Amino acid sequence: MIASITANLPVFVVIAPLFVAFVLPTFARRMRLVEGLVIFVETLGLVGAGYLASIVLRQKGIPIIYQLGGWPAPWGIELEAGSLGVFFLLVIAGVSLPVSLFAKGNLTEEVGSKERVARFYVLYLLLGGALAGMAVTNDLFNVFVLVEVATLSCCGLVSARNHPRAAEAAFTYLIMATLGSTLVLGGIGFLYMVTGHLNMGFASQELGRIWQDYPHVVWMAVSFILVGFGVKSAIFPLHVWLPDAHSTAPSPASAILSGLAVKGYLICLLKFLYSVFGPELMQKFAVHRILALVGAVAIIAGSVLALTQEELKRRLAYSTVAQVGYIILGFGLVNTKGLTGTLFYLASHAVIKSTLFLAAGAMLAATGKKNVRELAGVGRKMPITMAAFTVGSLGLIGIPLFSGFIGKWYLLLGSLEAGNILSVAVIIAGSVLCAAYLLPVIRGAYFEPGPEEDWKDPGLPQKIALILLVAAIVILGVVPGPFLELAKRAAAELLALQ
Amino acid sequence: MLALILALSSGVVGGLIVAVMPQARSRLRNLVVLVFSVSGTIFSWQVALMVFAGENFRIVGEFGGLAWSLDPDPLGAVFGLIASTLWLFTTVYSFGYMAGKHKQRTYYTFLLISFSVTLGVAFSGNLVALYLFYELLTFATYPLVIHERSSGAVKAGAKYILYNLSGAGALLIAIVITYGWAGNLDFAGGPILANCLKNGLNWLLVLFTIGFGVKAAIMPLHRWLPAAMVAPTPVSALLHAVAVVYSGVYGILRVVYSVFGHELMAELSFSSMLPLIAAFTILVGVTIATQQDVLKRRLAYHTISQLSYILLGAFTLQPSGLTGAILHMISYSTLKVTLFFCAGIIAEQTGEIKVSKMGGVGWSLPMTMAAFGIASLGMIGMLPLNTFWSKYYLMKGSVAGGRWPLALVLIASGIINAVCFIPTVVTAFRGKSVQPNAERGGRVALMLAPTLLLAAIALSIGLWPGIVWPGVQAVVNWFF
Repeated sequence: MIASITANLPVFVVIAPLFVAFVLPTFARRMRLVEGLVIFVETLGLVGAGYLASIVLRQKGIPIIYQLGGWPAPWGIELEAGSLGVFFLLVIAGVSLPVSLFAKGNLTEEVGSKERVARFYVLYLLLGGALAGMAVTNDLFNVFVLVEVATLSCCGLVSARNHPRAAEAAFTYLIMATLGSTLVLGGIGFLYMVTGHLNMGFASQELGRIWQDYPHVVWMAVSFILVGFGVKSAIFPLHVWLPDAHSTAPSPASAILSGLAVKGYLICLLKFLYSVFGPELMQKFAVHRILALVGAVAIIAGSVLALTQEELKRRLAYSTVAQVGYIILGFGLVNTKGLTGTLFYLASHAVIKSTLFLAAGAMLAATGKKNVRELAGVGRKMPITMAAFTVGSLGLIGIPLFSGFIGKWYLLLGSLEAGNILSVAVIIAGSVLCAAYLLPVIRGAYFEPGPEEDWKDPGLPQKIALILLVAAIVILGVVPGPFLELAKRAAAELLALQ
Repeated sequence: MLALILALSSGVVGGLIVAVMPQARSRLRNLVVLVFSVSGTIFSWQVALMVFAGENFRIVGEFGGLAWSLDPDPLGAVFGLIASTLWLFTTVYSFGYMAGKHKQRTYYTFLLISFSVTLGVAFSGNLVALYLFYELLTFATYPLVIHERSSGAVKAGAKYILYNLSGAGALLIAIVITYGWAGNLDFAGGPILANCLKNGLNWLLVLFTIGFGVKAAIMPLHRWLPAAMVAPTPVSALLHAVAVVYSGVYGILRVVYSVFGHELMAELSFSSMLPLIAAFTILVGVTIATQQDVLKRRLAYHTISQLSYILLGAFTLQPSGLTGAILHMISYSTLKVTLFFCAGIIAEQTGEIKVSKMGGVGWSLPMTMAAFGIASLGMIGMLPLNTFWSKYYLMKGSVAGGRWPLALVLIASGIINAVCFIPTVVTAFRGKSVQPNAERGGRVALMLAPTLLLAAIALSIGLWPGIVWPGVQAVVNWFF
């Protein structure tokens, strides 16, 4: 019994949300049931991910392999719940459960009618399933399918609000993201052309043998994939769609889009870079230098752009552009410490940015004020929301005791090991800039007199969601134990290919 | 062990209690503040005395795979003693100064929390803990800096955060490099980098100096300090003349003696530059101070200058220089807090903040100006005051280190100090008194009592330097 559950768990965590997504529209009018189902399936996902993680940790990193349809690789599609996959599954489940709690009973106002809420949840679960799939898949074409599913559901989520601006943002996103998907597909096509394999492991082996015969094709594949995922994960300067999309979406959707969806594409990119091309080839083609440089530019540019934003949600959206820079920069540090840092930072940013977006959403809902300046005095009237925002901000800046610091610490160690002084300086400069764009919000909220209005903290499920996320930030910052261990192991496995 | 935990937690616990108390209960709040300040002070005295007696206690923990430890040694104990004692004085002074002012609850909450954080800096046993508290100190004191809530205060606050976070950034890089090279960040067991001869050590020292130098207000990293004078006077006195800036100075002492060690320092080319930077800051700081008309700004630039006295002593790498540095840490802090307290009383009772308009102030505030006069003499380094001894050892250290011109710098600085303060005292007593005596009433008494007591303490240390000698000796013996 236990053995069969374990063996099927990697596919279950992907299928469960997808399945619920398909049956959800039948209950569209029974709101509570819909919400209950969503929270139930997210809880199930968290339990499943936690169980998988405990197994993988106990097995010392030996992955659980699931062959779809019983076809072994290289013919069939392979799902691999290794350290990296399990790590990301945990992040997905850990973030999407609080977010769905936050959405409970809170969406009708932002989205419109009940039917639209049900539609929102369908897209939300589809996105969750697709992300879980990205975490465990080991197949190139499968990645493309999941990327498409995720992209289209993101697009729907962006347009969920009944507002012309939302439609415009969604349309821009659709065009940009489709362009990205096309490039990714092209890249996969090139890889298949020269290797004849779609399984990542086999493709990688083959690539290591034949890349010298087709250097240009490999170049094309690398650049297509880099740019394709670059558009999707909003690497500066391919980020133009992100601020509109993430700031106009309903708050839970913003949280998921900024916190998780972007990370899904980054994980795919990581798999392509390290599991398909491999560290050796990356260095031969100088991809790691490009990544480190692009990351550094993104950190500075994103932060500076965030500084100029008046609207709180847009400021947070630009901050995502900057924080993605950190992760990309970490991809370019081809050593264990740097990769550990980048993975941990990815998880930390997922939790922190969803906290920030949810808190910002709660403030927006309570006050109706969009701009940072107008939120003066909100700290005393909405203590829990603002406390969550404060913890999130400190975490993002990288103050010790919060999760961001540990990510930055390892990124710094990795940068020094790689001898990359530029990235050391940029990591620190990014922190200072981050303080510059987030601390004024906190200062205004706590230390400035506000208008005499009756602003209140959101309801109980929303408060619980915020508290859960804050707890995650602090726990990851103080006792990251097994989580950090998973990240370390994932980093070691990604590098062991050479 | 228990004393250490209680010393560190009193401030935070008290601060949180104050934070949830109703705004209107000001008497009860003052009582709570006093109780927790006293307990923090008593327990840090206990910790310090135990450390001087040779006891060793260590609290070790880990966050995110990074080991931190609290492990007070004599240097930390001295800093803890200074900070906690002055904290008590400032708390009493604040009861007078803040009476009737706005946002008292926020003020006392963060004053108490900063107390804990400062003691955390003092008692930290490795670089991770030191960094943690050093960074937290910026945030814990920020609400005190912007207490006025005016646009000027907000601007000063932004500057404060920007400078300090940038410094903390440089420090973080330095710590990461140290960790990479030495694999160990503990202060106990000799200098961290003792057996680590590498090419980049000079640059590492530069990074550390920048990191801690921001809070120690080494020129040109000092700009935040004069700006931070918008804070209420007790905050300027305690935090921006002692606690916050001392955590920077303390950090540099740690870098010199616990991270590099004086033997390794002597071999680095950058370390021969450091006394020059300190000397530059001493002279330029005090010269700018003489040109400031606003008394608090004058005191701020003077602080910048005086902090570098301590650094100069540390940079000589001589036992006598370190003796001077530690003595000056103790002496200067008592005098400077007295000066700030006087400035606060003058501003509160007469409304004058500019030196040029303080003619005749002395007649209405005789005791205040007397204390101011005593402290001014101390800043020059006159004999009955404690700074004479520290200056003596600083000069001795400079000469012992083979750098006699530095002793001349100290003498020159003493003369400029005289130019800076003596005219103020003289003008204060010039002319006829037009105002009645303004030193009456409970509120002034609360401000005046700590001021006079501190001046008396400074005098008695000057007359009997033996009372602080065991502590100073313990620090010097610890490192040499």
